[in-house]
Formats: sequence, C-alpha cells, structure tokens
Amino acid sequence: MIEPLLKISHVNKHFGGNIAVSDVSFAVEEQQIFGLIGPNGAGKTTLFNCITGFYPVTSGDVIFDNRKINNLRPDAVCRLGMARTWQRVKPLSSLSVLENVMIGAFSITRSLTEAREKAQEQLTQVGLSDYATQLAGSLSIGLKKKLELARVLATKPKMLLLDEICGGLNHTETDTLLQIIRDVRKQGTTIVFIEHDMKAVTSICDHIVVLNSGVKLAEGTPAEITRNQEVIAAYLGGGYHA
Amino acid sequence: MLFIQSLISGILTGGVYALAGIGMSLVFGVMNISNFAHGDLMMLGMYLAYYAFTLLHIDPYLSLVMIIPVSFLFGFLLEKVFISRVIDHPHQNQILLTIGLGLIMSNTALLAFTSDPKILTTSYSSSAINTAGGLSISIPLLLSFLITILITTILYLFLLKSSTGMALRATSQNREAAQLMGINVAKMSAIAFGIGTALAATAGALIAPTYYIHPLAGHSFLLKSFTICVLGGLGSVVGAGVGGLIIGVVESMASTYISTDWKDVIVFVLFLAVLLLRPQGLFGKNGGQ
Amino acid sequence: MKQLIIVALLAALAAAIPSLLGENPYIIGLLISVLMMAALSSAWNIIGGFAGQYSFGHAAYFGAGAYTTMILISSWNVNPLAGMVAGIAIAAVIALITGSIVFGLRGHYFALASIAVAEIIRLSVLNFEFTGGAQGILLANVTLWGLDLNSKDPFYYGMLLLLVVTLAVTIWLRKSKTGYYLQAIREDQDAASSLGINLARYKNRSLLLSAALTSVAGSLYSVYIRFIDTSAVLDLRLSIEIILTAIIGGVGTLWGPVLGAILLVPLAEMLRSNVIGDSLVKLGIVSETSALGVFLSENLAHAHVLVYGIITVLCILYMPKGILGLFRRIK
Repeated sequence: MIEPLLKISHVNKHFGGNIAVSDVSFAVEEQQIFGLIGPNGAGKTTLFNCITGFYPVTSGDVIFDNRKINNLRPDAVCRLGMARTWQRVKPLSSLSVLENVMIGAFSITRSLTEAREKAQEQLTQVGLSDYATQLAGSLSIGLKKKLELARVLATKPKMLLLDEICGGLNHTETDTLLQIIRDVRKQGTTIVFIEHDMKAVTSICDHIVVLNSGVKLAEGTPAEITRNQEVIAAYLGGGYHA
Repeated sequence: MLFIQSLISGILTGGVYALAGIGMSLVFGVMNISNFAHGDLMMLGMYLAYYAFTLLHIDPYLSLVMIIPVSFLFGFLLEKVFISRVIDHPHQNQILLTIGLGLIMSNTALLAFTSDPKILTTSYSSSAINTAGGLSISIPLLLSFLITILITTILYLFLLKSSTGMALRATSQNREAAQLMGINVAKMSAIAFGIGTALAATAGALIAPTYYIHPLAGHSFLLKSFTICVLGGLGSVVGAGVGGLIIGVVESMASTYISTDWKDVIVFVLFLAVLLLRPQGLFGKNGGQ
Repeated sequence: MKQLIIVALLAALAAAIPSLLGENPYIIGLLISVLMMAALSSAWNIIGGFAGQYSFGHAAYFGAGAYTTMILISSWNVNPLAGMVAGIAIAAVIALITGSIVFGLRGHYFALASIAVAEIIRLSVLNFEFTGGAQGILLANVTLWGLDLNSKDPFYYGMLLLLVVTLAVTIWLRKSKTGYYLQAIREDQDAASSLGINLARYKNRSLLLSAALTSVAGSLYSVYIRFIDTSAVLDLRLSIEIILTAIIGGVGTLWGPVLGAILLVPLAEMLRSNVIGDSLVKLGIVSETSALGVFLSENLAHAHVLVYGIITVLCILYMPKGILGLFRRIK
C-alpha cells in the first residue's frame, strides 16, 4: 500500500483563545487533485499556513513524503517539494514577469541561463510569454494569478497548494487556469486546491474535504459532497445547486 | 541601603521615561510608525519649560498647563502636514521622514538657542526629602513622578472611557476594521500623534530641572524610548509604562553598581537581549516571526 | 557587461584627474570625500537598496575598520593593509551578531537594532582606554611600501578603487542568483520564503558584503586623516548621511548613490566653508552688515545638517525613488 503524499494528522491551531483549526485529519494521495472547501473563516488558509510552515501547529502532525515537516521553515518546505500560491497574490512588483518566474526556477538551479530557460518554458505553459518583460506589478489580477502559478511551477514541486487561485477571475480565465492545472497533474504533480468556486471544485477535484469553523465537516467525492445535507446547510442554503 | 536608594531614584526617573515611552507606543499602535523625531520632541518640551521659567517666571511643573496643549497642537499639525502623506509608504521611508523632521527640529534649535547647555534651576532643584533610614529622595524627581502618575491616569481613563479613546484603541487593534466601522482613521492618526507629542514634550519638561538642556539632548532618549516600547511590547500602552519603570531602575542600578559611563550601553544591550529572547515584549500584540 | 565597461571608462577618466589637476590639495581632498561617500552609499545600497533592509547604524562598520586599523598601526606598527583586513574581520563579526539577532524578525526591528549596535560600539569605544576614549587616536607616522602617504594622491586612488570594486560587486549581484534572491526578499519576504529562499542566510550574506566594503572605507579614511575619534567615525549622523546620499540619488539603482554623493558632498562643503553665504554677499543680494548678512555668515556654516534634514523631508515626500528613480524604474 502506497503511503499518501501528504498526511494531516489531528492538526490543531489556536491563536490564544481563538481556535482556528480543530482536530483536522485527512490524506492526499499522489497525483490527486484534492479540494479543500468551506465557508469564509472555516480555517482553510490557516491550515495551508500550518502545512507550509508559516504558522507552527499547536498540536498534530503534518507528514509530507513520509517526513514530518511540522516545524520546518517555509523555505525548507519548498525545497522538499511542496509549493504554494497566495490568496492575495504576491507578485514581486518591481521585477519583470520573467524575473519573477526565474526566482522560482532558482530553487532548482544556480545557473542564470538555466533559470531563464526554465522560466521561459513555464511562461509558455501558462500563456504569459508575451508579458515576459513587463513589470509584474503592472499586470491585471487574472494575469497576476497566472504569474503566481508559473512561478511556483518553476520550483518543480511534487505537491502544489493553490489558495483560491480562481478568486476574482471570470469564467474564461477560470477555465484556462483549470486546464493548465489538469496538465500539471498529468505531468506528475499532486494538487491541493482551496476554492470557493463550487463549479470549479466539482469539475476538477477527485476528492474533497469540507471545513467549517475549523472542524472537518465532511469528506468524499464531489458527487457525495454536493449531496451532503450538512455541507449544504453550512453554505447557508445559497450554496451549490446541483 | 544603597540598593533601595538606587531603586527609588530609578523608579522616579523611570516614571518620566514611561511617559515618553507611552507616547511612542501610542503612535506605534495607532499608526504603525516608528517616530524617530520623538527625542527631539522631548527636547522641544525642555526648551518650552526653560523659556517659560526664565522669561515668564512660571514654574516648570505649572507650565505644563501651557506646554501640553501647545505640543499636542504641534504634533497634530505635524501629522496632518507631513506624516499623513507617508502612512501607506514602506516603513523605511516613514522612518527617514521622521528622521528628517527631527534633524530640522534639532538643528533649528541649534541655530536659535546655540549649543550652550542651559540649566533650569528652580528654588527646589536640589532639595530632597531625607528620611530616617538615610534615604534621600529628590523633590523634583518626586514631583515629576507624581505628575506622571496623574497624567497617566488621565490618559488611561481617556483611552478606556471616552469615545475618542475607544476609537483610538480600535484603530490600534485593527486599522482596517476600525475604518469599516466608520472610524475616521486619518483623524485618529493625527490625534494619536498629537498625544504622543504632548507626552514627549511633557516628559521633556519634567526632566528639564534635572538635565542639561541643549538641542541634541533628545537623542539619548530616542533609543531609550524605543527600548521601552519594545520591552513593553510595541503598541501596548501598559507595557510601555511598565517598561519605562524597568528601564529607569536598570539604568539607576547600572549607574550605582557599574558606572554612569556604561549605563546607556547596558540599556541598549538589554534592548538587543529583548529582541533576541522575547521580541514581542512583555505585553506585545505584534511579534517577531 | 556593458555597465562594467562604463564603470571602467569612468574610472579611467577619474584616475587621470590628479595628474591633470596638478597641485590642488583642496580639490583632491574634496574629490576624495565624494569618492568615499559614493563608496559608502554604494556599499550600503547592497543591503538597503537590494535586500530592502535599511541599516541605520552603518557607521559601526566604518568605525570598526577605522579603529581596528588605527589601533593596530599605532600600538603594534602593523602594516596598514593587514590592519584593513583585520578591520574587515571585526566588521564581519559585528554584522553576524546583528544579523543573528534580527534577521529572523519582521518589520522595524532591523532598523532599531542596527542603531542599538552602533551606539553600543560608539559608547564602548568612548569608555575604553585602548581605543583612545574621547581623545581619539592620533597617528604620527605610517608607511606602506615606500608610498608617500603624506600626499593625498594614494588615498584618491584607494577610494576610487574601492568605489570601482563596490560598483563591480553590485553589477555582479544584479545578474546572480544571490542578487535575485535579495530583490525577492525586498519585494515580499513571505513570497520569497515560500519560493525556497532562506531569508536569514541571504540577508546575512548581503550584510556581510556591505559591512566588509564599508569597513575598508573606514580603514582608508583613518590612514588618510591620521586622526579618528568617535564623532568622526562612529556617529549616527554618518549613518544617516550614507542613507540620505543613496536615497537622493536613487536607492536600489547602480548609479544612484554615486549621483547622490556628487550632489551632496560638495553642497555640504559649500555650506560648511560659507561659500554660499559669501556669494550671496558678493552678488549683492544680501548686505554684509545687515542682520540677515550677519546671521548667515555666522550660522550658515553650521546649517548643513539642517539643510540635510530639509532635503530628506522633501525627498521622501516628493521624490522617494530619488533622482534616478524619476527617470527609470527601480532595478
């Protein structure tokens, strides 16, 4: 039996008296596209931050590629093969689009020419080649999201954590992004998605975990989740209509 | 005996330090700005007290009645005209702006008042209460301490009970949320800076009878005030109060048991130690990583 | 590559100046000050402009170089170059200590800690005997391989060489992985960290580099002037002046600090030597005997720091990216 690539085991995160994540456990298999959904404030981004080393967990274990990564710094987590994007995009604004992606590429090479090559490949994959020399800060939000994706892909991660990458995008942009993600999975990368857009989530995810108020509410296939009464109630009835 | 004497002087001086520290902490909490002109604002308070005394013959402690509103207004205007423009800029630019303003203040003072140190001697400058146990408590220090307690209490009540005070605290906790609740955060910044300036000037005035008054006098208080804020926890008014007392005592003890030459070094080393061991300070809300 | 060639050309031009100028110690002295401030600001730019970590206590490294060199030469007759290397070592230790305390923290802490470290060093130097205390250290005699160290020329070339090296290092950084990583740290530390960049390691590297170059300037200065004390080499004003020079020219750019030095050093000199006051009188704008005239002649000489303050405020408010920043994007 193959071990899951990522195992979250009874993770708790408290901020003083505020319990953001409570006893959450789940496992992500290799090359899955895994969805993490829930209403606002459910603790999804907090969990991401715990997994990737930006917050220390209060208790519980995060096991990635058979290795406990609980107290590692974010840069160490990245070098182990887990990369993430940000809910509020973080372009390196004064640098060009190409340079942004090069910085991602530098995590796997020291050479300037190699980094530039890899960066250009990555830009082509997401469709940003025409913007290579533009300043990252000048892009529209949709392009900034693409840039962020290209940048993390340049680190050649085993697992990619995407925090609301479709947020603020229109339907066309979302569809393009989802197609890129499917291709990325085909190339061997495992994907974990935080997303609000239920249509996007159900169309692309193999397996979904639902969080609500820091607690795991439900787990299952998209079909199972969309039929789950508790999940529908948590989204306040204005949730997903089959 | 020496220990208790040292402790008492330390606490009394620490009170004034606390006042300066609280002023800085308030600005830090509400505006998230490190004000590098803070020491120069203290210096202005010193000169205000000096000239009120020598020209108008008003006792320095009484002149506070005039100094507090004047310096509040000065700080308020300073914020409106200069500081507000950089509130969203990177923090190094904010620091540089306040440094520039400080340089203007101290060097204008140098041109206006010359670098000859002035001395403010009141009739009771060297008076002291001599207790039975052999302790000597300086009267000016004691008066400063009592006034500090009075001002701190008023400030505390203001922050706790008044609507402006609560608005200030809300802005300090979360600027965005406060704005969403309808609080005029720009005005809060100006008020906070005004109060911070008034507290700095007051501390300067209180210290004037016991220090050499000259245009660069504020600089040694600047880093000390930062130490107090970091020790207490950036943004925590209570923390700055406690921090001030601690620094006052540390300095006094260092003077007594090591030497006056090293007292500042010890305070700064303490500052680095706090950053190393407990960067969020005693009561801090923001922290290191 | 192209920039390196420009640097080399300008350096060659600059190298020719002393021979063209002949015997003019005043101008040479002024140029040495310009070159030194340009080198200091460019060195600061590595940690401040590139990595975005503003050190407000860089005088500590200047003073480390100056005092180490002076003490070794005056007490033990050590070769000045060896003294310079020792100065670099001391500066490196200071940089490592500062970095290890603060580079794990966020926000304003590095600025404050850098001042604290510089002040601790300044006050300690004041209090110790072997550092000369408040009197400073005076160097009677110093020799290096038969060079005439009484003339200013060797120091002109020394500072020029230091500036060239500093600019070359900056050019190299911009095209290296380290340089890219530093810029990422400057733009967004969280993003940088999530992309595999060890924040503390790279911040430390850039601080070490910056500190080493700064201390060399201090060593050169000490042998040039032959007298140092804490107000000359360890003062907060020097730290601020270094930053201001970089800001005015354009922080984070290659030529910004050089431009800043070319503008500010002569300006300060003109204020200090009352050239401006005298010209106002000569031009008839101000009468020598009027109250304003008297005030100017007595005080303008002391006013250069006031002018610095005004320039700083105006620059931050209206020109935060400096003169070069007005013309092109920050790189």
